[in-house]
Amino acid sequence: MSKILVIDDERATLNMFEMLLTAYGHEVLTAENGEIGIEIFDARKPDLVMTDIKMPGMDGLEVLSRIKAISPDSEVIVITGHGDMDLAIKALNLDATDFLNKPVKREDLEKALRLSDDRRLFARKKQDDVRLIFEDKLAVIEVAGNLTSKSEGLLIDIFDEAMDTSKMNILIIFQEKASINGAAIDTLYNVIEKAKAKGCNIIITGLSGNFRCVLDSMGISKMASIYDNEESARKKLC
Amino acid sequence: MKRFTIKKFVDRFSGFSLKNKIFFSTLGVILIISAIIALLARWILVSSLTKELELRGVAIAYSIAERGAGYILDRDYPQLLSLTFEEAKLRERQHLITYIYVLDKENQVLCHTFTRPFPGDLDKANPIPEGSDKSVRLINLGKTSAYDIAVPIKEGLYRIGTVHVGLNKIHIDQLVSTLRFTFLGFISFVVVIIFVISHRLAEYITKPVSKLTRLSDELSRGNFNFSIDVLSSGSEWNASSCPAYYNTDFPCWHFDLSSNNTDNEVGGRESLQQCQDCHFYSKRQGDEVVQLADSFRNMVWSIKLYRRRLRESEEKYKSLFDSGPDPILVVSCADFKIIDANPRVTELYGYSLKELIGEKFIKLGPESNKECIKAFEEYGGPSGCIYYPKILHYKKSGKPVYVNMHACPITYRSEPSIIVAVNDITEIIEKDAQLVQAAKMKSLGEMSAGVAHEVNQPLNAIKMGSEYLALMAEQNRDLPAAQLEKVAREVSNQVDRAAEIISALRAFGRKSGFKTEKVDINAPVRSVLTLVTRQFELQNVNFELDLTENMSRIIAQDNRLQQVFFNLVNNARDAIAEKRENTGIDSEDFIKITTYQRADNVYIRVSDTGAGITDEVRDKIFEPFFSTKEVGYGMGLGLAITYGIVRDCKGSIEIDSQQGVGTSFTLVFPAAKEES
Repeated sequence: MSKILVIDDERATLNMFEMLLTAYGHEVLTAENGEIGIEIFDARKPDLVMTDIKMPGMDGLEVLSRIKAISPDSEVIVITGHGDMDLAIKALNLDATDFLNKPVKREDLEKALRLSDDRRLFARKKQDDVRLIFEDKLAVIEVAGNLTSKSEGLLIDIFDEAMDTSKMNILIIFQEKASINGAAIDTLYNVIEKAKAKGCNIIITGLSGNFRCVLDSMGISKMASIYDNEESARKKLC
Repeated sequence: MKRFTIKKFVDRFSGFSLKNKIFFSTLGVILIISAIIALLARWILVSSLTKELELRGVAIAYSIAERGAGYILDRDYPQLLSLTFEEAKLRERQHLITYIYVLDKENQVLCHTFTRPFPGDLDKANPIPEGSDKSVRLINLGKTSAYDIAVPIKEGLYRIGTVHVGLNKIHIDQLVSTLRFTFLGFISFVVVIIFVISHRLAEYITKPVSKLTRLSDELSRGNFNFSIDVLSSGSEWNASSCPAYYNTDFPCWHFDLSSNNTDNEVGGRESLQQCQDCHFYSKRQGDEVVQLADSFRNMVWSIKLYRRRLRESEEKYKSLFDSGPDPILVVSCADFKIIDANPRVTELYGYSLKELIGEKFIKLGPESNKECIKAFEEYGGPSGCIYYPKILHYKKSGKPVYVNMHACPITYRSEPSIIVAVNDITEIIEKDAQLVQAAKMKSLGEMSAGVAHEVNQPLNAIKMGSEYLALMAEQNRDLPAAQLEKVAREVSNQVDRAAEIISALRAFGRKSGFKTEKVDINAPVRSVLTLVTRQFELQNVNFELDLTENMSRIIAQDNRLQQVFFNLVNNARDAIAEKRENTGIDSEDFIKITTYQRADNVYIRVSDTGAGITDEVRDKIFEPFFSTKEVGYGMGLGLAITYGIVRDCKGSIEIDSQQGVGTSFTLVFPAAKEES
């Protein structure tokens, strides 16, 4: 049970969120615009903020950056209109936890809520974000935590190491609770491009639907083959 | 009574031909003069002749009295008798003198020259009155008559007898009649001569005149086919040698206004022809009749050339009328029926020429032609042409056709009429509509992202509501009635909202027909705002509305007005965006829409607080394909189409702009008349 702040200029949407989230057993705060939202955030310190991106006055991205400025570790899920991939990427760049497409589906919402729960849990555990495991003919990179701009050096090091060992196949596994932001995606793109140039075969698996879309739109999926789960990816390698 | 007869006479005289007038008046004058001369001559000649003969008789009588006095005193009567015979029969006197006799103082006949017995009473017929020395009296002698001249024979103071000399009246009358006959004969001869002369003179004067008259008659009957040489016989001028004979544009002969402005120039070079010096205008030496004939010839020649020029001009315009690409009608102003039409008219309207002529003009366009007819019905009609753009006419089949119409007043067959030139613009209007539709589709495309977002909002609420219900159902949880009702109401509201957006979108995208309707100007404004408000608000562009309710409606098409307002608010939004880009400040900007009515005009003003327009841009703003936007962002058709639509509604657009402060577009539309 967590305290969730929902910011949306649509009264109807707020009502629905309130009912739905209450049904999931959360405490719900609502705000009709960005300014009120930030005030409430300041006052009530919710566990999770869900904000619409397109709002008159202060828009969702601004709310996101303000909240991140107040509390960088806070969990913010942005709600975008269907297919607003540019905005979604922008939001991820600002360290949004995830994004939800309108109309909001229950499973997406559940997944996003779970992700945010996991991250909060993970944050408390302070586990390694990225691990490199060498297998026969294969370098496995497991992503478990938050890939952000801070992970840039780490990612590059790991990839260099993987390539140095002349393993031509690199398998990247995203754990369920893993999240990745825009800057990290950029870095990922760069290292994958480099690996590809060296003739490496890159397989990505374990991506959630949203991230898969983002990687698609970034063009990463063209350089790497993406599989739904680890098993099918390994099968493919054999 | 007498006056009347003179008047009648004058009337009758003036009815005579000129020839008869000259002839009769000359003859009359001559006759009157002759009669007067004859009378005078008769009076002078006859009286002097008679007197002269009398004087001769008296002289003879005195001669007898002188010489016979001695014989009477001597009583020698045989001597006296021989004396009287001698006097009476001397030479030609025997014809003149009928008798001589002498009386004594007792009035006894002493002797006489009668060869028969002395007529009784003759001795007493002519007594000499006392104190007089002669007496003349006409005496009837039975078969003849004679002038008896009595003279006394005196011896000293005493009267011793009387001599009577009888002059033969027949002889005198014979002399007088010879004289009269000679004189009258002479006068008659003179009259005959004058008769002939006056006849010839009259004929000489009247013959050319009657010839001119005959030619004039021919001319007025339109027969110009006689040779001009008929008139110019005798002069060396030949009509066909005149350059103007074959080229009526030759400026030589016509000095009318139509050629004056060409300054006597043909094809750019100055004409060296000088018509004043032209042989054509020289006249023959001769009397007035000859000169008249020459003048007449010149006149006929000029008329012939003018006629030819007129015919050429008529043919030119006739061919223009027939071959021109546009339908042209001639409509009488008296009853507004079609009196002529060119072949294009029959092609356009599908009526045959026979069906058209005599048909009412209003039949071609029952609504649109009313205005035209009204304009020409007013006294005097319009002073110039009137232009009726984009009006609706109907073909014979009832199919509508859009035309531009020019109506000009003319005089056709001396009746006031209208020349109606029509231009089929149906295709242009269709193209126009297609263009508007294309622009609208483009606008729809521009809107689509915003609209999708807009539709997504209610969908989102509905989705979440249904997910909530599904969740409750899956988990078998109790759903409080209040919650259920709340969800149901919200879902219903959101469906309405989505439906409203979709219907606004459909209304905007619908292809509008050509039919105009009465529109409350606020309606299309609201329709457009339904679609764009949220979208604009998301860009922090707010609307301020100041709409006046219950204004007069205007004649327009709702759908097209939406396009107009969409273009205007879109441009306003872009202007604001441009300003923000220039200044880099996210300023508080808004678009203000005001509607109001002043007298018979309905105004709508769309003001923004955007970047404003420079003067040079403002001049070109309505030009098609003019755009200040980057390539690929604007077709430059928005305002051109806006302008076209507003103009079609008989409206106008005013622009008021200040750079950096904002722009106002004010649209003015005439209010529709409310009666129908």
